[in-house]
Amino acid sequence: MATSDEIEQKLRAAFAPEHIEVIDESELHRGHAGWREGGGTHFRVRIRASAFADMNRLARHRAIHAALGTELIGRIHALALEVEA
Amino acid sequence: MSVHDRIREMVENNDVVLFMKGTKTMPQCGFSSRVASVLNYMGVEYTDVNVLADEEIRQGIKEYSDWPTIPQLYVKGEFVGGCDIVTEMTLSGELDELFDKKGVAYDKDAANKIREANS
Repeated sequence: MATSDEIEQKLRAAFAPEHIEVIDESELHRGHAGWREGGGTHFRVRIRASAFADMNRLARHRAIHAALGTELIGRIHALALEVEA
Repeated sequence: MSVHDRIREMVENNDVVLFMKGTKTMPQCGFSSRVASVLNYMGVEYTDVNVLADEEIRQGIKEYSDWPTIPQLYVKGEFVGGCDIVTEMTLSGELDELFDKKGVAYDKDAANKIREANS
């Protein structure tokens, strides 16, 4: 499974978002540290879910990190998050 | 001294600390560069810790903050967040509020200019 699909699946399962986009931005970072040929290194996630309503910024990011798990996060180089409730 | 004690000493003995890849004058990653640029532009005095120069800190800071990515910003011993959070807080004015509350000096006009340029 592509890493972007894996990210989307885990976040859907954890937060039942009303909106989610997982964008592989690896090409924008071509040649930068952590970049690899073929993509799958730099991701941007836009997510909106009522589950985040009572969380501050840190808590929202921490919840997403936890849902993705250390193994997946360890595999990618960058994860930009845009989180809304 | 354990790595966590080293980190605790850094964040408690310096008002503003940025754990980053590279240095404030020569960042080596776009995300670190963005946060350093904001602080530089706002004229904030801060300590930059280059995690690429210290593997123990590079791993240790992730555990210490329970946060998997670099950069990481600390203000008066308190973890603020990474690149996305610092960017959002800069644009919303929350970073100014935090600096006001914690007694950290910064250039308010410069902060406003960042917001004007991104509105």
